[in-house]
Amino acid sequence: MKYKRFVWLAALIFILSVFNVYSQEILVVDNTIFNRPQRPAAVFDHDDHNEKAQLEEDCSICHHVYDENNVRIEDESSEDSLCSECHSLKKIPENSIPLRMAFHNRCKQCHFKSDKGPVLCGECHIRK
Amino acid sequence: MHSFINFIMGPMVWISFLIFFCGVIFKLFQVIKQVNEKENFIYTYLSVKHSFRSIFAWMIPFLPVSTRKSPVFYTVSYLFHLLLFIVPIFLLSHVALFEESMQWSWMTFNDTVADTLTLIVIFSLIFFMIRRVVVPEVKFLTRLSDFFFILIVALPFVTGFLAYHQFFAYKWMVITHVISGELMLILIPFTRFSHMFMAPLTRAYTGSEFGNVRHAKDW
Ligand code: HEC
Ligand code: HEC
Ligand code: HEC
Ligand code: HEC
Ligand code: HEM
Repeated sequence: MKYKRFVWLAALIFILSVFNVYSQEILVVDNTIFNRPQRPAAVFDHDDHNEKAQLEEDCSICHHVYDENNVRIEDESSEDSLCSECHSLKKIPENSIPLRMAFHNRCKQCHFKSDKGPVLCGECHIRK
Repeated sequence: MHSFINFIMGPMVWISFLIFFCGVIFKLFQVIKQVNEKENFIYTYLSVKHSFRSIFAWMIPFLPVSTRKSPVFYTVSYLFHLLLFIVPIFLLSHVALFEESMQWSWMTFNDTVADTLTLIVIFSLIFFMIRRVVVPEVKFLTRLSDFFFILIVALPFVTGFLAYHQFFAYKWMVITHVISGELMLILIPFTRFSHMFMAPLTRAYTGSEFGNVRHAKDW
Protein backbone atom coordinates (compact mmCIF):
# COMPACT_ATOMS: atom_id res chain seq x y z
CA MET A 1 0.00 0.00 0.00
CA LYS A 2 2.68 2.43 1.08
CA TYR A 3 4.85 1.24 -1.78
CA LYS A 4 2.13 2.03 -4.35
CA ARG A 5 1.66 5.52 -3.03
CA PHE A 6 5.39 6.12 -3.32
CA VAL A 7 5.34 5.06 -7.00
CA TRP A 8 2.48 7.44 -7.72
CA LEU A 9 4.25 10.26 -5.97
CA ALA A 10 7.46 9.58 -7.86
CA ALA A 11 5.57 9.47 -11.16
CA LEU A 12 3.85 12.74 -10.34
CA ILE A 13 7.15 14.44 -9.50
CA PHE A 14 8.64 13.11 -12.70
CA ILE A 15 5.78 14.40 -14.87
CA LEU A 16 5.78 17.78 -13.14
CA SER A 17 9.52 18.20 -13.57
CA VAL A 18 9.40 17.29 -17.27
CA PHE A 19 6.55 19.73 -17.74
CA ASN A 20 8.49 22.33 -15.79
CA VAL A 21 11.61 21.92 -17.96
CA TYR A 22 9.57 22.44 -21.09
CA SER A 23 7.60 25.36 -19.82
CA GLN A 24 10.79 27.09 -18.64
CA GLU A 25 12.73 26.41 -21.79
CA ILE A 26 14.00 29.62 -23.34
CA LEU A 27 14.76 29.43 -27.02
CA VAL A 28 18.01 31.06 -27.99
CA VAL A 29 20.13 31.80 -31.05
CA ASP A 30 22.84 29.15 -31.13
CA ASN A 31 26.20 30.71 -30.20
CA THR A 32 28.45 27.66 -30.46
CA ILE A 33 29.82 28.89 -33.78
CA PHE A 34 31.67 31.65 -31.87
CA ASN A 35 34.83 30.30 -30.36
CA ARG A 36 34.51 30.52 -26.59
CA PRO A 37 31.32 32.62 -26.43
CA GLN A 38 31.62 35.52 -23.98
CA ARG A 39 27.94 35.98 -23.24
CA PRO A 40 24.93 33.74 -22.60
CA ALA A 41 23.20 32.89 -25.90
CA ALA A 42 20.65 35.54 -26.95
CA VAL A 43 16.99 34.80 -26.23
CA PHE A 44 14.99 34.46 -29.42
CA ASP A 45 11.86 32.36 -29.73
CA HIS A 46 11.84 32.26 -33.54
CA ASP A 47 8.20 31.55 -34.36
CA ASP A 48 6.72 33.38 -31.40
CA HIS A 49 8.89 36.43 -32.11
CA ASN A 50 7.97 36.61 -35.77
CA GLU A 51 4.30 36.17 -35.01
CA LYS A 52 4.29 38.98 -32.44
CA ALA A 53 6.39 41.26 -34.63
CA GLN A 54 4.34 40.35 -37.71
CA LEU A 55 7.31 39.22 -39.76
CA GLU A 56 5.88 35.97 -41.03
CA GLU A 57 5.06 37.23 -44.51
CA ASP A 58 8.61 38.04 -45.49
CA CYS A 59 11.28 35.66 -44.26
CA SER A 60 13.92 37.52 -46.31
CA ILE A 61 13.91 40.45 -43.86
CA CYS A 62 16.35 38.25 -41.94
CA HIS A 63 17.12 35.36 -44.29
CA HIS A 64 18.28 37.47 -47.20
CA VAL A 65 20.05 36.69 -50.48
CA TYR A 66 22.47 38.92 -52.38
CA ASP A 67 23.66 38.76 -56.00
CA GLU A 68 27.32 38.93 -57.12
CA ASN A 69 27.25 42.74 -56.98
CA ASN A 70 26.12 42.74 -53.36
CA VAL A 71 22.65 43.91 -54.28
CA ARG A 72 19.85 42.30 -52.29
CA ILE A 73 17.52 40.09 -54.32
CA GLU A 74 14.04 41.09 -53.16
CA ASP A 75 12.02 37.95 -53.65
CA GLU A 76 14.48 35.25 -52.61
CA SER A 77 15.21 33.99 -49.14
CA SER A 78 17.85 31.83 -47.45
CA GLU A 79 16.11 30.25 -44.46
CA ASP A 80 17.83 26.95 -45.22
CA SER A 81 21.19 28.54 -44.38
CA LEU A 82 22.70 29.72 -41.13
CA CYS A 83 23.87 33.33 -40.99
CA SER A 84 27.37 32.00 -40.37
CA GLU A 85 27.45 30.32 -43.78
CA CYS A 86 27.88 33.73 -45.38
CA HIS A 87 29.00 35.92 -42.46
CA SER A 88 32.40 34.81 -41.21
CA LEU A 89 33.56 35.54 -37.67
CA LYS A 90 36.16 38.06 -38.84
CA LYS A 91 35.97 40.67 -41.55
CA ILE A 92 37.45 39.26 -44.78
CA PRO A 93 37.39 40.54 -48.40
CA GLU A 94 34.44 38.26 -49.25
CA ASN A 95 32.45 39.38 -46.23
CA SER A 96 32.41 42.93 -44.97
CA ILE A 97 29.99 42.24 -42.11
CA PRO A 98 31.37 39.93 -39.42
CA LEU A 99 28.91 37.55 -37.76
CA ARG A 100 28.45 39.26 -34.40
CA MET A 101 27.80 42.57 -36.11
CA ALA A 102 25.41 40.95 -38.59
CA PHE A 103 23.28 39.66 -35.70
CA HIS A 104 23.47 42.88 -33.70
CA ASN A 105 22.67 45.21 -36.57
CA ARG A 106 19.82 43.06 -37.82
CA CYS A 107 18.16 42.72 -34.43
CA LYS A 108 18.88 46.10 -32.83
CA GLN A 109 18.26 48.35 -35.82
CA CYS A 110 14.71 47.04 -36.18
CA HIS A 111 14.04 47.25 -32.43
CA PHE A 112 15.19 50.86 -32.36
CA LYS A 113 13.13 51.69 -35.41
CA SER A 114 9.95 50.01 -34.20
CA ASP A 115 10.45 51.29 -30.63
CA LYS A 116 9.88 47.73 -29.38
CA GLY A 117 12.05 44.78 -28.43
CA PRO A 118 15.38 44.63 -26.56
CA VAL A 119 18.33 46.94 -27.37
CA LEU A 120 20.69 46.56 -24.37
CA CYS A 121 23.21 43.72 -24.05
CA GLY A 122 21.61 42.14 -21.00
CA GLU A 123 18.10 42.22 -22.43
CA CYS A 124 19.15 39.65 -25.04
CA HIS A 125 22.12 37.97 -23.36
CA ILE A 126 20.19 37.21 -20.18
CA ARG A 127 22.07 35.67 -17.25
CA LYS A 128 20.07 33.14 -15.30
CA MET B 1 12.45 55.03 -24.09
CA HIS B 2 14.17 53.62 -27.17
CA SER B 3 14.84 57.05 -28.62
CA PHE B 4 16.32 58.20 -25.29
CA ILE B 5 18.62 55.17 -25.15
CA ASN B 6 19.50 55.71 -28.78
CA PHE B 7 20.41 59.33 -28.01
CA ILE B 8 22.66 58.65 -25.00
CA MET B 9 24.35 55.69 -26.68
CA GLY B 10 24.63 57.44 -30.04
CA PRO B 11 24.95 61.21 -30.62
CA MET B 12 25.66 61.99 -26.95
CA VAL B 13 28.79 59.83 -27.03
CA TRP B 14 30.23 61.89 -29.88
CA ILE B 15 29.15 65.17 -28.27
CA SER B 16 30.98 64.14 -25.08
CA PHE B 17 34.15 63.27 -26.97
CA LEU B 18 33.94 66.54 -28.89
CA ILE B 19 33.63 68.56 -25.66
CA PHE B 20 36.47 66.52 -24.19
CA PHE B 21 38.89 67.17 -27.08
CA CYS B 22 37.93 70.83 -27.55
CA GLY B 23 38.24 71.33 -23.78
CA VAL B 24 41.71 69.78 -23.72
CA ILE B 25 42.91 71.98 -26.59
CA PHE B 26 41.37 75.08 -25.00
CA LYS B 27 43.05 74.30 -21.69
CA LEU B 28 46.46 73.76 -23.28
CA PHE B 29 46.19 77.09 -25.11
CA GLN B 30 45.18 78.78 -21.90
CA VAL B 31 48.19 77.43 -20.03
CA ILE B 32 50.61 78.36 -22.82
CA LYS B 33 49.12 81.85 -22.89
CA GLN B 34 49.56 82.22 -19.14
CA VAL B 35 53.15 81.05 -19.35
CA ASN B 36 53.84 83.51 -22.17
CA GLU B 37 52.45 86.37 -20.16
CA LYS B 38 53.90 85.65 -16.74
CA GLU B 39 56.83 83.29 -16.99
CA ASN B 40 58.20 83.46 -20.48
CA PHE B 41 61.74 83.27 -19.04
CA ILE B 42 61.32 79.49 -18.99
CA TYR B 43 61.85 79.47 -22.76
CA THR B 44 65.44 80.42 -22.15
CA TYR B 45 66.12 77.02 -20.66
CA LEU B 46 63.19 74.83 -21.74
CA SER B 47 64.78 71.81 -23.40
CA VAL B 48 63.22 68.94 -25.28
CA LYS B 49 65.84 66.54 -24.04
CA HIS B 50 65.36 67.33 -20.36
CA SER B 51 61.59 67.47 -20.74
CA PHE B 52 61.33 63.98 -22.14
CA ARG B 53 63.99 62.70 -19.76
CA SER B 54 61.81 63.78 -16.86
CA ILE B 55 58.54 62.54 -18.40
CA PHE B 56 59.98 59.08 -19.02
CA ALA B 57 61.70 58.91 -15.66
CA TRP B 58 58.38 59.52 -13.96
CA MET B 59 56.69 56.86 -16.07
CA ILE B 60 59.02 54.13 -14.86
CA PRO B 61 57.52 52.64 -11.71
CA PHE B 62 59.60 53.39 -8.62
CA LEU B 63 62.40 55.26 -10.34
CA PRO B 64 61.50 58.62 -8.70
CA VAL B 65 62.72 58.71 -5.11
CA SER B 66 59.47 60.04 -3.68
CA THR B 67 57.55 57.09 -5.13
CA ARG B 68 59.89 54.70 -3.36
CA LYS B 69 59.07 56.33 -0.03
CA SER B 70 55.42 55.21 -0.18
CA PRO B 71 55.50 51.99 -2.21
CA VAL B 72 51.97 50.84 -1.39
CA PHE B 73 50.35 54.09 -2.45
CA TYR B 74 52.32 54.30 -5.68
CA THR B 75 51.73 50.65 -6.60
CA VAL B 76 47.99 51.19 -6.30
CA SER B 77 48.30 54.54 -8.04
CA TYR B 78 50.24 53.24 -11.06
CA LEU B 79 47.90 50.29 -11.45
CA PHE B 80 44.84 52.49 -11.12
CA HIS B 81 45.96 55.05 -13.69
CA LEU B 82 46.86 52.31 -16.16
CA LEU B 83 43.57 50.44 -15.78
CA LEU B 84 41.53 53.64 -15.85
CA PHE B 85 42.38 53.91 -19.55
CA ILE B 86 43.03 50.31 -20.55
CA VAL B 87 39.78 48.80 -19.23
CA PRO B 88 37.22 50.97 -21.06
CA ILE B 89 39.28 51.15 -24.28
CA PHE B 90 39.65 47.39 -24.62
CA LEU B 91 36.25 46.41 -23.18
CA LEU B 92 34.30 44.04 -25.39
CA SER B 93 30.97 45.84 -25.02
CA HIS B 94 32.53 49.23 -25.83
CA VAL B 95 34.40 47.91 -28.87
CA ALA B 96 31.32 46.00 -30.07
CA LEU B 97 29.21 49.17 -29.94
CA PHE B 98 31.93 51.17 -31.66
CA GLU B 99 32.22 48.55 -34.38
CA GLU B 100 28.49 48.61 -35.04
CA SER B 101 28.51 52.34 -35.71
CA MET B 102 31.96 52.83 -37.26
CA GLN B 103 32.67 49.42 -38.89
CA TRP B 104 36.01 49.42 -37.14
CA SER B 105 37.23 47.37 -34.19
CA TRP B 106 40.32 46.34 -32.27
CA MET B 107 41.43 43.70 -29.80
CA THR B 108 39.46 43.25 -26.58
CA PHE B 109 39.85 41.68 -23.18
CA ASN B 110 38.01 38.56 -22.39
CA ASP B 111 34.93 39.59 -20.37
CA THR B 112 36.07 37.73 -17.24
CA VAL B 113 39.48 39.44 -17.34
CA ALA B 114 37.86 42.87 -17.79
CA ASP B 115 35.51 42.11 -14.93
CA THR B 116 38.43 41.34 -12.60
CA LEU B 117 40.33 44.47 -13.69
CA THR B 118 37.19 46.51 -13.03
CA LEU B 119 37.13 45.19 -9.46
CA ILE B 120 40.78 46.24 -9.05
CA VAL B 121 39.86 49.78 -10.15
CA ILE B 122 36.95 49.89 -7.71
CA PHE B 123 39.11 48.66 -4.84
CA SER B 124 41.84 51.20 -5.68
CA LEU B 125 39.27 53.97 -5.44
CA ILE B 126 38.10 52.65 -2.08
CA PHE B 127 41.74 52.61 -1.01
CA PHE B 128 42.21 56.28 -2.05
CA MET B 129 39.05 57.21 -0.21
CA ILE B 130 40.10 55.44 3.01
CA ARG B 131 43.57 56.97 2.76
CA ARG B 132 42.05 60.44 2.70
CA VAL B 133 40.21 59.72 5.93
CA VAL B 134 42.88 57.77 7.79
CA VAL B 135 46.33 59.23 6.94
CA PRO B 136 46.70 62.52 8.89
CA GLU B 137 48.94 64.38 6.36
CA VAL B 138 46.51 63.58 3.58
CA LYS B 139 43.42 64.19 5.66
CA PHE B 140 44.74 67.67 6.41
CA LEU B 141 44.79 68.52 2.69
CA THR B 142 41.50 66.80 1.84
CA ARG B 143 38.46 68.81 0.85
CA LEU B 144 34.94 67.59 0.29
CA SER B 145 35.43 68.01 -3.45
CA ASP B 146 38.12 65.30 -3.40
CA PHE B 147 35.49 62.75 -2.46
CA PHE B 148 33.20 64.12 -5.12
CA PHE B 149 35.85 63.52 -7.78
CA ILE B 150 36.53 60.00 -6.55
CA LEU B 151 32.80 59.36 -6.78
CA ILE B 152 32.62 60.67 -10.36
CA VAL B 153 35.38 58.26 -11.42
CA ALA B 154 33.90 55.38 -9.45
CA LEU B 155 30.40 55.72 -10.86
CA PRO B 156 31.01 54.40 -14.42
CA PHE B 157 33.05 51.49 -13.07
CA VAL B 158 30.58 50.51 -10.35
CA THR B 159 27.49 50.82 -12.56
CA GLY B 160 29.28 49.04 -15.44
CA PHE B 161 30.16 46.19 -13.11
CA LEU B 162 26.63 45.93 -11.71
CA ALA B 163 25.11 46.09 -15.21
CA TYR B 164 27.44 43.42 -16.59
CA HIS B 165 26.35 41.03 -13.83
CA GLN B 166 22.70 41.99 -14.24
CA PHE B 167 22.28 41.99 -10.46
CA PHE B 168 19.30 44.36 -10.32
CA ALA B 169 17.55 47.20 -12.19
CA TYR B 170 19.53 46.29 -15.30
CA LYS B 171 18.13 48.86 -17.69
CA TRP B 172 18.58 51.75 -15.25
CA MET B 173 22.05 50.56 -14.40
CA VAL B 174 23.12 50.78 -18.04
CA ILE B 175 21.49 54.19 -18.45
CA THR B 176 23.23 55.51 -15.30
CA HIS B 177 26.45 53.94 -16.53
CA VAL B 178 26.39 55.60 -19.91
CA ILE B 179 25.46 59.02 -18.52
CA SER B 180 28.08 58.88 -15.74
CA GLY B 181 30.75 57.85 -18.28
CA GLU B 182 29.87 60.79 -20.49
CA LEU B 183 29.77 63.13 -17.50
CA MET B 184 33.29 62.09 -16.55
CA LEU B 185 34.56 62.70 -20.09
CA ILE B 186 33.00 66.15 -20.18
CA LEU B 187 34.37 67.10 -16.75
CA ILE B 188 37.98 66.02 -17.41
CA PRO B 189 39.25 69.19 -19.18
CA PHE B 190 37.55 71.64 -16.82
CA THR B 191 38.31 70.15 -13.40
CA ARG B 192 41.17 68.74 -11.40
CA PHE B 193 41.10 65.70 -13.69
CA SER B 194 43.00 67.84 -16.17
CA HIS B 195 46.19 66.77 -14.37
CA MET B 196 46.04 63.80 -16.74
CA PHE B 197 47.20 65.94 -19.67
CA MET B 198 48.84 68.72 -17.63
CA ALA B 199 51.23 66.30 -15.95
CA PRO B 200 53.62 66.08 -18.96
CA LEU B 201 53.81 69.92 -19.06
CA THR B 202 54.62 70.06 -15.36
CA ARG B 203 57.36 67.49 -15.93
CA ALA B 204 58.74 69.44 -18.89
CA TYR B 205 58.80 72.57 -16.74
CA THR B 206 60.49 71.05 -13.70
CA GLY B 207 62.58 68.65 -15.78
CA SER B 208 64.06 71.53 -17.77
CA GLU B 209 64.68 73.65 -14.74
CA PHE B 210 66.40 70.86 -12.84
CA GLY B 211 68.26 69.42 -15.82
CA ASN B 212 69.22 72.54 -17.72
CA VAL B 213 69.67 75.08 -14.94
CA ARG B 214 70.46 73.26 -11.73
CA HIS B 215 72.03 70.27 -13.51
CA ALA B 216 70.22 67.90 -11.22
CA LYS B 217 67.66 65.15 -11.52
CA ASP B 218 64.06 65.88 -10.67
CA TRP B 219 63.15 62.32 -9.82
C1 HEC C 1 13.65 38.45 -37.15
C2 HEC C 1 14.49 37.74 -38.07
C3 HEC C 1 13.96 36.45 -38.68
C4 HEC C 1 12.83 36.30 -39.46
C5 HEC C 1 11.84 37.36 -39.92
C6 HEC C 1 12.81 34.89 -39.82
N1 HEC C 1 13.86 34.24 -39.25
FE1 HEC C 1 14.29 32.28 -39.44
N2 HEC C 1 15.95 32.51 -38.24
C7 HEC C 1 16.37 33.71 -37.72
C8 HEC C 1 17.60 33.50 -37.00
C9 HEC C 1 18.41 34.57 -36.29
C10 HEC C 1 17.90 32.12 -37.11
C11 HEC C 1 19.14 31.41 -36.55
C12 HEC C 1 20.17 31.45 -37.64
C13 HEC C 1 21.53 31.01 -37.20
O1 HEC C 1 21.67 30.41 -36.13
O2 HEC C 1 22.51 31.26 -37.97
C14 HEC C 1 16.84 31.52 -37.90
C15 HEC C 1 16.77 30.18 -38.24
C16 HEC C 1 15.81 29.64 -39.08
C17 HEC C 1 15.76 28.28 -39.51
C18 HEC C 1 16.81 27.22 -39.13
C19 HEC C 1 17.96 27.35 -40.08
C20 HEC C 1 18.93 26.19 -39.98
O3 HEC C 1 19.58 25.91 -40.99
O4 HEC C 1 19.05 25.63 -38.88
C21 HEC C 1 14.67 28.12 -40.31
C22 HEC C 1 14.22 26.86 -40.99
C23 HEC C 1 14.03 29.41 -40.40
N3 HEC C 1 14.74 30.31 -39.62
C24 HEC C 1 12.90 29.66 -41.13
C25 HEC C 1 12.28 30.89 -41.26
C26 HEC C 1 11.10 31.14 -42.04
C27 HEC C 1 10.35 30.08 -42.89
C28 HEC C 1 10.80 32.45 -41.90
C29 HEC C 1 9.63 33.23 -42.50
C30 HEC C 1 8.32 32.77 -42.11
C31 HEC C 1 11.80 33.03 -41.00
N4 HEC C 1 12.66 32.04 -40.64
C32 HEC C 1 11.82 34.35 -40.61
C33 HEC C 1 15.76 34.93 -37.85
C34 HEC C 1 14.60 35.16 -38.55
C1 HEC D 1 23.43 33.55 -48.59
C2 HEC D 1 24.39 34.31 -47.85
C3 HEC D 1 23.88 35.10 -46.64
C4 HEC D 1 23.15 34.62 -45.58
C5 HEC D 1 22.66 33.21 -45.32
C6 HEC D 1 22.98 35.74 -44.69
N1 HEC D 1 23.56 36.88 -45.22
FE1 HEC D 1 23.58 38.74 -44.38
N2 HEC D 1 24.52 39.47 -46.01
C7 HEC D 1 24.98 38.73 -47.08
C8 HEC D 1 25.66 39.60 -48.03
C9 HEC D 1 26.33 39.16 -49.33
C10 HEC D 1 25.55 40.91 -47.51
C11 HEC D 1 26.06 42.19 -48.11
C12 HEC D 1 27.45 42.43 -47.62
C13 HEC D 1 28.01 43.72 -48.16
O1 HEC D 1 27.24 44.63 -48.47
O2 HEC D 1 29.23 43.80 -48.21
C14 HEC D 1 24.84 40.79 -46.24
C15 HEC D 1 24.55 41.86 -45.42
C16 HEC D 1 24.01 41.76 -44.16
C17 HEC D 1 23.76 42.88 -43.27
C18 HEC D 1 24.02 44.36 -43.56
C19 HEC D 1 23.02 44.90 -44.56
C20 HEC D 1 21.65 44.97 -43.99
O3 HEC D 1 20.76 44.31 -44.54
O4 HEC D 1 21.45 45.64 -42.97
C21 HEC D 1 23.25 42.36 -42.12
C22 HEC D 1 22.86 43.12 -40.87
C23 HEC D 1 23.15 40.91 -42.29
N3 HEC D 1 23.62 40.59 -43.54
C24 HEC D 1 22.65 40.03 -41.34
C25 HEC D 1 22.38 38.68 -41.58
C26 HEC D 1 21.74 37.77 -40.63
C27 HEC D 1 21.29 38.14 -39.23
C28 HEC D 1 21.63 36.55 -41.24
C29 HEC D 1 20.98 35.27 -40.69
C30 HEC D 1 19.59 35.40 -40.27
C31 HEC D 1 22.22 36.68 -42.56
N4 HEC D 1 22.66 37.98 -42.74
C32 HEC D 1 22.32 35.65 -43.49
C33 HEC D 1 24.84 37.37 -47.25
C34 HEC D 1 24.13 36.52 -46.42
C1 HEC E 1 12.03 43.60 -38.61
C2 HEC E 1 12.00 43.91 -37.23
C3 HEC E 1 12.67 42.99 -36.19
C4 HEC E 1 13.83 42.27 -36.33
C5 HEC E 1 14.75 42.16 -37.53
C6 HEC E 1 14.05 41.63 -35.05
N1 HEC E 1 13.05 41.95 -34.17
FE1 HEC E 1 12.89 41.33 -32.23
N2 HEC E 1 11.18 42.34 -32.04
C7 HEC E 1 10.57 43.11 -33.02
C8 HEC E 1 9.34 43.67 -32.51
C9 HEC E 1 8.37 44.57 -33.28
C10 HEC E 1 9.22 43.20 -31.18
C11 HEC E 1 8.08 43.49 -30.19
C12 HEC E 1 7.06 42.42 -30.32
C13 HEC E 1 5.91 42.67 -29.39
O1 HEC E 1 6.00 42.20 -28.25
O2 HEC E 1 4.99 43.35 -29.81
C14 HEC E 1 10.39 42.38 -30.91
C15 HEC E 1 10.63 41.74 -29.70
C16 HEC E 1 11.74 40.98 -29.42
C17 HEC E 1 12.00 40.32 -28.16
C18 HEC E 1 11.08 40.33 -26.95
C19 HEC E 1 10.08 39.26 -27.18
C20 HEC E 1 9.04 39.16 -26.13
O3 HEC E 1 8.35 38.16 -26.14
O4 HEC E 1 8.91 40.11 -25.35
C21 HEC E 1 13.19 39.66 -28.28
C22 HEC E 1 13.90 38.83 -27.22
C23 HEC E 1 13.68 39.91 -29.62
N3 HEC E 1 12.79 40.72 -30.28
C24 HEC E 1 14.85 39.39 -30.12
C25 HEC E 1 15.28 39.58 -31.43
C26 HEC E 1 16.51 39.03 -31.95
C27 HEC E 1 17.50 38.19 -31.18
C28 HEC E 1 16.59 39.44 -33.25
C29 HEC E 1 17.70 39.15 -34.26
C30 HEC E 1 17.98 37.80 -34.56
C31 HEC E 1 15.39 40.23 -33.54
N4 HEC E 1 14.64 40.30 -32.40
C32 HEC E 1 15.13 40.82 -34.76
C33 HEC E 1 11.04 43.34 -34.27
C34 HEC E 1 12.18 42.79 -34.83
C1 HEC F 1 18.62 42.34 -29.82
C2 HEC F 1 19.37 41.36 -29.12
C3 HEC F 1 20.84 41.61 -28.80
C4 HEC F 1 21.39 42.68 -28.11
C5 HEC F 1 20.68 43.91 -27.57
C6 HEC F 1 22.79 42.41 -27.97
N1 HEC F 1 23.09 41.21 -28.57
FE1 HEC F 1 24.89 40.32 -28.61
N2 HEC F 1 24.16 38.85 -29.82
C7 HEC F 1 22.84 38.71 -30.19
C8 HEC F 1 22.68 37.52 -31.02
C9 HEC F 1 21.39 37.02 -31.62
C10 HEC F 1 23.97 36.95 -31.15
C11 HEC F 1 24.36 35.66 -31.90
C12 HEC F 1 24.70 34.44 -31.07
C13 HEC F 1 24.23 34.41 -29.66
O1 HEC F 1 24.96 34.92 -28.78
O2 HEC F 1 23.14 33.89 -29.38
C14 HEC F 1 24.88 37.81 -30.38
C15 HEC F 1 26.23 37.59 -30.22
C16 HEC F 1 27.07 38.31 -29.39
C17 HEC F 1 28.46 38.00 -29.15
C18 HEC F 1 29.25 36.87 -29.80
C19 HEC F 1 29.00 35.58 -29.08
C20 HEC F 1 29.66 35.55 -27.73
O3 HEC F 1 28.92 35.34 -26.74
O4 HEC F 1 30.89 35.72 -27.63
C21 HEC F 1 28.92 38.91 -28.24
C22 HEC F 1 30.30 38.99 -27.64
C23 HEC F 1 27.83 39.80 -27.93
N3 HEC F 1 26.72 39.42 -28.65
C24 HEC F 1 27.91 40.86 -27.05
C25 HEC F 1 26.91 41.81 -26.90
C26 HEC F 1 27.09 43.06 -26.18
C27 HEC F 1 28.35 43.47 -25.45
C28 HEC F 1 25.94 43.74 -26.28
C29 HEC F 1 25.62 45.13 -25.75
C30 HEC F 1 26.48 46.18 -26.20
C31 HEC F 1 25.00 42.90 -27.04
N4 HEC F 1 25.65 41.75 -27.39
C32 HEC F 1 23.69 43.24 -27.31
C33 HEC F 1 21.81 39.53 -29.83
C34 HEC F 1 21.92 40.70 -29.11
C1 HEM G 1 34.69 56.76 -19.98
C2 HEM G 1 33.80 56.31 -19.17
C3 HEM G 1 33.45 54.85 -19.11
C4 HEM G 1 34.03 53.89 -18.33
C5 HEM G 1 35.20 54.08 -17.38
C6 HEM G 1 33.34 52.65 -18.57
C7 HEM G 1 33.65 51.45 -17.96
C8 HEM G 1 32.89 50.28 -18.05
C9 HEM G 1 33.04 49.12 -17.22
C10 HEM G 1 34.11 48.99 -16.15
C11 HEM G 1 32.10 48.20 -17.58
C12 HEM G 1 31.86 46.81 -16.96
C13 HEM G 1 32.95 45.85 -17.22
C14 HEM G 1 32.72 44.57 -16.48
O1 HEM G 1 32.62 44.56 -15.24
O2 HEM G 1 32.66 43.55 -17.16
C15 HEM G 1 31.33 48.78 -18.66
C16 HEM G 1 30.28 48.17 -19.32
C17 HEM G 1 29.54 48.75 -20.32
N1 HEM G 1 29.69 50.06 -20.81
FE1 HEM G 1 31.01 51.43 -20.19
N2 HEM G 1 32.34 52.85 -19.50
C18 HEM G 1 32.37 54.19 -19.86
C19 HEM G 1 31.55 54.82 -20.76
C20 HEM G 1 30.55 54.19 -21.49
C21 HEM G 1 29.71 54.84 -22.49
C22 HEM G 1 29.78 56.32 -22.88
C23 HEM G 1 28.86 53.88 -22.98
C24 HEM G 1 27.78 53.99 -24.02
C25 HEM G 1 27.98 54.23 -25.25
C26 HEM G 1 29.16 52.63 -22.30
C27 HEM G 1 28.52 51.41 -22.52
C28 HEM G 1 28.71 50.24 -21.79
C29 HEM G 1 27.93 49.04 -21.94
C30 HEM G 1 26.76 48.83 -22.91
C31 HEM G 1 28.45 48.10 -21.01
C32 HEM G 1 28.00 46.65 -20.82
C33 HEM G 1 26.86 46.47 -19.89
C34 HEM G 1 26.47 45.00 -19.92
O3 HEM G 1 27.32 44.12 -20.05
O4 HEM G 1 25.27 44.74 -19.83
N3 HEM G 1 30.19 52.86 -21.40
N4 HEM G 1 31.83 50.05 -18.92
